[in-house]
Amino acid sequence: MKSFVIGQYIPGDSFLYKMDPRSKLYALFLLMITSFFLPSIYFMFGMFVFVILFLKIGGINLGRVIKGLKPILILLLFTFGFQIAFIKTGTPLIKETMSFNVLSIAAATLIFFFWIYTKRYVRYKFIYLIVTIFAIISTFIYVSGGYQLGTTGFIVYSDGLLNAAYIMLRLIIIITLSTMLTLTTKPTDLNLGLESMLRPLKVIKVNSEEMAMIISIALRYIPTLLDEANKIMLAQASRGVDFTEGKMKDKVMQIISLLVPMFIISFKRSDDLADAMEARNFVPGNPRTRLHVLSWHTIDSFTIALSISILIASIAVRYFI
Amino acid sequence: MAIKFEQVGYVYPGLAGDSFEALKNINLEISDKGEFITLIGETGSGKSTLVQHMNALVKPTTGNVTVYGIKIHKDVKKKNRKVKLNPLRQKVGLVFQFPEYQLFEETVEKDIIFGPKNFGVSDEEAKERAKEVIKLVGLTENYLIRSPFNLSGGEKKRVSIAGILAMEPDILVLDEPTSGLDPKGRDSLLELFMDIHNKLDNTVVIITHDMNTVYKYASRVLVMSDGELVYDGLPVELFTKANLEEWNLDKPEILEIKEQLEEKLGVSFDQVPRNIDDLYKSLKEVIK
Repeated sequence: MKSFVIGQYIPGDSFLYKMDPRSKLYALFLLMITSFFLPSIYFMFGMFVFVILFLKIGGINLGRVIKGLKPILILLLFTFGFQIAFIKTGTPLIKETMSFNVLSIAAATLIFFFWIYTKRYVRYKFIYLIVTIFAIISTFIYVSGGYQLGTTGFIVYSDGLLNAAYIMLRLIIIITLSTMLTLTTKPTDLNLGLESMLRPLKVIKVNSEEMAMIISIALRYIPTLLDEANKIMLAQASRGVDFTEGKMKDKVMQIISLLVPMFIISFKRSDDLADAMEARNFVPGNPRTRLHVLSWHTIDSFTIALSISILIASIAVRYFI
Repeated sequence: MAIKFEQVGYVYPGLAGDSFEALKNINLEISDKGEFITLIGETGSGKSTLVQHMNALVKPTTGNVTVYGIKIHKDVKKKNRKVKLNPLRQKVGLVFQFPEYQLFEETVEKDIIFGPKNFGVSDEEAKERAKEVIKLVGLTENYLIRSPFNLSGGEKKRVSIAGILAMEPDILVLDEPTSGLDPKGRDSLLELFMDIHNKLDNTVVIITHDMNTVYKYASRVLVMSDGELVYDGLPVELFTKANLEEWNLDKPEILEIKEQLEEKLGVSFDQVPRNIDDLYKSLKEVIK
């Protein structure tokens, strides 16, 4: 817990690390918009290849990026399912009928419960889930017997498949790009970059410097608070609070015993921090100099230029070709 | 033996290989009767990590810790789902350094009975115990209805100790119980631990930075240095023979005075004084 770093920043020294956080943020923004202008699966695939190429050149471990994709796996699966189910144009690729009868429903239920009870022992849970879904669908297709409740067609159209791939690729590209940013930029740099991007908001009386200060303090204290939470858990565990072995009805009390000290310690910490800042003559709103000053290099201008041209190209492809 | 460490190592995991080895090859036995142990060593030498192994709060990365017959190793939970570590925490009561980490109830009484009730003690019984232990730690029954958050630092500390004492552990482990207390409060708490130790013949383990405490109370002293257990034995031997400088320890005052006297008067005392009376006697003899 001691060396916990918030975000996913991993030290490295490729060009992605040397870039200014502002240019990275702008580029991310531009490329994300680009992904919404690409007209077809082929262009999307082209961009996907481009992004992967970038990862390779930037010396980023692919495994890390795949880890970043993990939280959206379920979303991807849903998207895929919906696209397959609701797009009914193009040529049908698979044409089967699903029959809901006593035997097939029983078998499907059995498979479902088998999955629920066995999933905790399986290493690759997501693949196991997909296999289970396939098993359930094929049960409905191939198993017949008993009283027939109804049938429905199971048809996969080519457009559905293409569209599903198109949207999934877009999601993957967006997540990969943002993972690329968080992997190569320190949270503090990211914060500085955001601050300078938000500076124009001063017109509508949003103080970006103070917001950046709040964010950086929050980021700074996440590891500290996690450390603290860990200690509280240990302290309560030695009074018999059982965070792993306990029953459901004790859980509420356990969480209270963790939360109350947590709140009290956080409040005390923020009080102390405010005092410490004031003792060093921090006055909110006063102009401050910085220890780390962002510097814009040629590569940053180049990146922005490249991103803008890609965006323009995608718009051109969509509307004029 | 109630607690037995066998070649225990513990590594705090870190990202990108910057893990920290907190314990290295610890071999140690602690009985649950009649020991008054102090654990000393500089900050970051692994003292707190060591005591957290004693009630199975953390599991060793390498080696085994056996606590009351239950062998705890890295995969103890994976290998055998039936192993319950929770009951060990009633037998080995661990008081953390900062009371803020454990106080959370509305009243002191509720906070004290929280521990016992977790281990299945009835409400009435737990409240009885609360009345006893609050007096034991040097507070009055009036404190039971107060909020733990409106107490002073020293009082919080006492309440947190009371919360563990109410569990009636066989072995009492205290992580710097006297830090942040005034000298009088410190002495009265140490006397209290000594009292408990004498009355019930329980083992008490205290982490401390105060060499006087070690010298005055301990029957056995453990010294940690850089994750290793470098000394395990009698305090007198530690302070007269062992290499204190290397472990960043200093001598208890009484021995400092003795050495100063020996040097300034050009004499040598025939015995090592345990307390001020011993020293006084020796001094008298020498002057005679």
